Amino acid sequence: MNALLLNTLTLYFRREWQLMFRNTGTLVQPLVFFVIIALLFPFSLPVDLDLLEKIGGGVIWVSAVLATLLSLERMFHGDYLDGTLEQLLIHHRYLPLAVLGKVIAHWSATGLLLSLMSPFLCLAFNVPVEQIWVLFIGLMLGTPSLTLLGAIGAALTVTLHRGGVLIAIIILPLYIPVLIFGAGMLSQQVQGLEILSQIYTLAAILVLALTLAPFAIAAALKATIN
Amino acid sequence: MNPVSATWNFLYKTYHRLASPREFYTIAQYTTPVFGVLAFVLLLCGAYLGLFKAPADYQQGDSFRIIYVHVPAAWLSLMVYVTIATAAAIGLIWRMKMAFVVAICSAPLGATFTALALITGSIWGKPIWGTWWTWDARLTSELILLFLYFGVIATYYAFEERKTAEKAMAMLAVVGVVIVPIIHYSVEWWSSLHQGATVFAEGGPRMPADMLTPLILMIFGFMFFYGYALFIAAQNMVLNNERKSKWVRELVTVNINTTH
Amino acid sequence: MPNAESNSRSPSTTEKLISVTNLCCSRGERVLFNDLSFTANTGECVHIVGPNGTGKTTLLRTLCGLNGSDKGDIRWLGQPISLSDAFTHQAVYIGHKDALKNELTALQNLRFNQQLESIHDEDALENSLLRLKILACADLPVQALSFGQRRRLAFAKLLLYPKSVWILDEPFTGIDAHGRTLIENLCVRQLKDGGTIIMTHHRSLQETALRTYSKEVFIQPQESIL
Repeated sequence: MNALLLNTLTLYFRREWQLMFRNTGTLVQPLVFFVIIALLFPFSLPVDLDLLEKIGGGVIWVSAVLATLLSLERMFHGDYLDGTLEQLLIHHRYLPLAVLGKVIAHWSATGLLLSLMSPFLCLAFNVPVEQIWVLFIGLMLGTPSLTLLGAIGAALTVTLHRGGVLIAIIILPLYIPVLIFGAGMLSQQVQGLEILSQIYTLAAILVLALTLAPFAIAAALKATIN
Repeated sequence: MNPVSATWNFLYKTYHRLASPREFYTIAQYTTPVFGVLAFVLLLCGAYLGLFKAPADYQQGDSFRIIYVHVPAAWLSLMVYVTIATAAAIGLIWRMKMAFVVAICSAPLGATFTALALITGSIWGKPIWGTWWTWDARLTSELILLFLYFGVIATYYAFEERKTAEKAMAMLAVVGVVIVPIIHYSVEWWSSLHQGATVFAEGGPRMPADMLTPLILMIFGFMFFYGYALFIAAQNMVLNNERKSKWVRELVTVNINTTH
Repeated sequence: MPNAESNSRSPSTTEKLISVTNLCCSRGERVLFNDLSFTANTGECVHIVGPNGTGKTTLLRTLCGLNGSDKGDIRWLGQPISLSDAFTHQAVYIGHKDALKNELTALQNLRFNQQLESIHDEDALENSLLRLKILACADLPVQALSFGQRRRLAFAKLLLYPKSVWILDEPFTGIDAHGRTLIENLCVRQLKDGGTIIMTHHRSLQETALRTYSKEVFIQPQESIL
């Protein structure tokens, strides 16, 4: 039984990666988008290295949120168009797990890579080294929650032709707690305060999302596909 | 029969009657005017007492009187969201048509209350903080709540097929209500500029009675107004949804004949 | 008035494999069919015939649990299918969409379907391609295949694992005469092995091998008044 459950999860994880490797363009897009958005901020602000250092972390967080949001639409839409999604729903034995496999694969292609790239982006914003660590840990804990929550929106809008804006309206308000605690860690750090409680809160949100979101995603897919 | 089971039976029967669109429509025809009259009387009394009888605040002067709109609107904005989520959950679990109607009809009303709370809060803030907007916890939470309402409404109208729209909207409302406490807590942590809770602080209300009475009247007035507006909106939606059914056709023909 | 007649050839045995009673489905404002009843037994091919827009596809999707119904019920061995996990294990659905991933090869697509059932048998994969005469396409990505070849590949999935119920939506559209004979032979084989097929077609079957096993269920267009 347990082996079967794990099998479903790993099968979908592997298949997602297989598909993404065949389609490297869409794999790279969110990463490029992430960098471009973050680098737009200095152009719109006065030239001031101290200011950049202050806002750098927040800017990178907002860029990560937007890059995650941008990549959400493709999570289920391709599967919906070619009919694999309805096959998945019919063989619904472990639907939440199959969905979780897809979401984890999706996160490892967006959130994980974004987190790994963030230290380099920090250099452009003149962010000090001890803060780069805080930002990295925050992104690693926060972005999986973003992807899990976003997948609910992606599932709800999968049948719509232009679901992109609707996903943003639905999902962005739900992203606020993660953004607050993730970016808040940085300002705590600057003031020399303890950041452990924010780490715990982000981890708690992640655990909550990890346990509840797959069921919500599965229910949303069942409700909208017909 | 003991009173408990009698009450239970009554509630059970009412629930089942309300579950049918036709029964709901008939019941709502009687309840709507009652709610309307109660709302009118309560709001009138509350406004009179609040604006003319209640003493001016020793710090804020007469400008505090906006509380009689701001606090009820803010209360209702949360209450309506919880109502939507509850109705949505009932609709999803027991496949009850009327629950979805109640949920979707409540959404624009709740959004309006939220917008009203935001606008009055902003107007109130101008003399107190010297600015129209501060990023204080409750005002920010209220703003996020407005976005949640927009999400629910936008989801419903994005789908052509009504059954799908209802389910998608309901699911979003339920997800939202799980996250609302987390949002509230996070915003609270993020900013703690605002004054403490005014109405029901620990150890009883801190407001004097002649200030508090109009506020309570206004809150109940707002609630009845919400009920009144909800019944009207839900009746219209029921008529539209069931326009192909026999009873609506008969109803419409009878009405046309009587007006001629 | 029952508007679905069935010229059942099998004697009315005690427990039907699948029984549909008084099923009513609507799409938006439109009632697709009302009071539809039929049964399907082992070794039987139920042939659902009706003009376009009468809800043939909706009926099949309702059988698979993708759509809900307004009234009536569908039973599998006397148990409602929504409660019967066994039904989803035993049924396989091939709809208008082929449920194939364009980026992957024919073999990879089949292999994934097989792995979902926790089977690892490379010979079975090649054998199924061979039986549908598309072995030459095994290592081509699906996007390089023609429409007819894709349809054949979709049907090759049926041979990967023994499933007792095949639910096929317009199986012969877009397929040449040779392919049609191949698929009909597959169906006959399935029925001889004691399987069941429920399929749609816009007109009655011609004189073919499959016809001897078939019973036809007609769906009439509805006046959309409740």
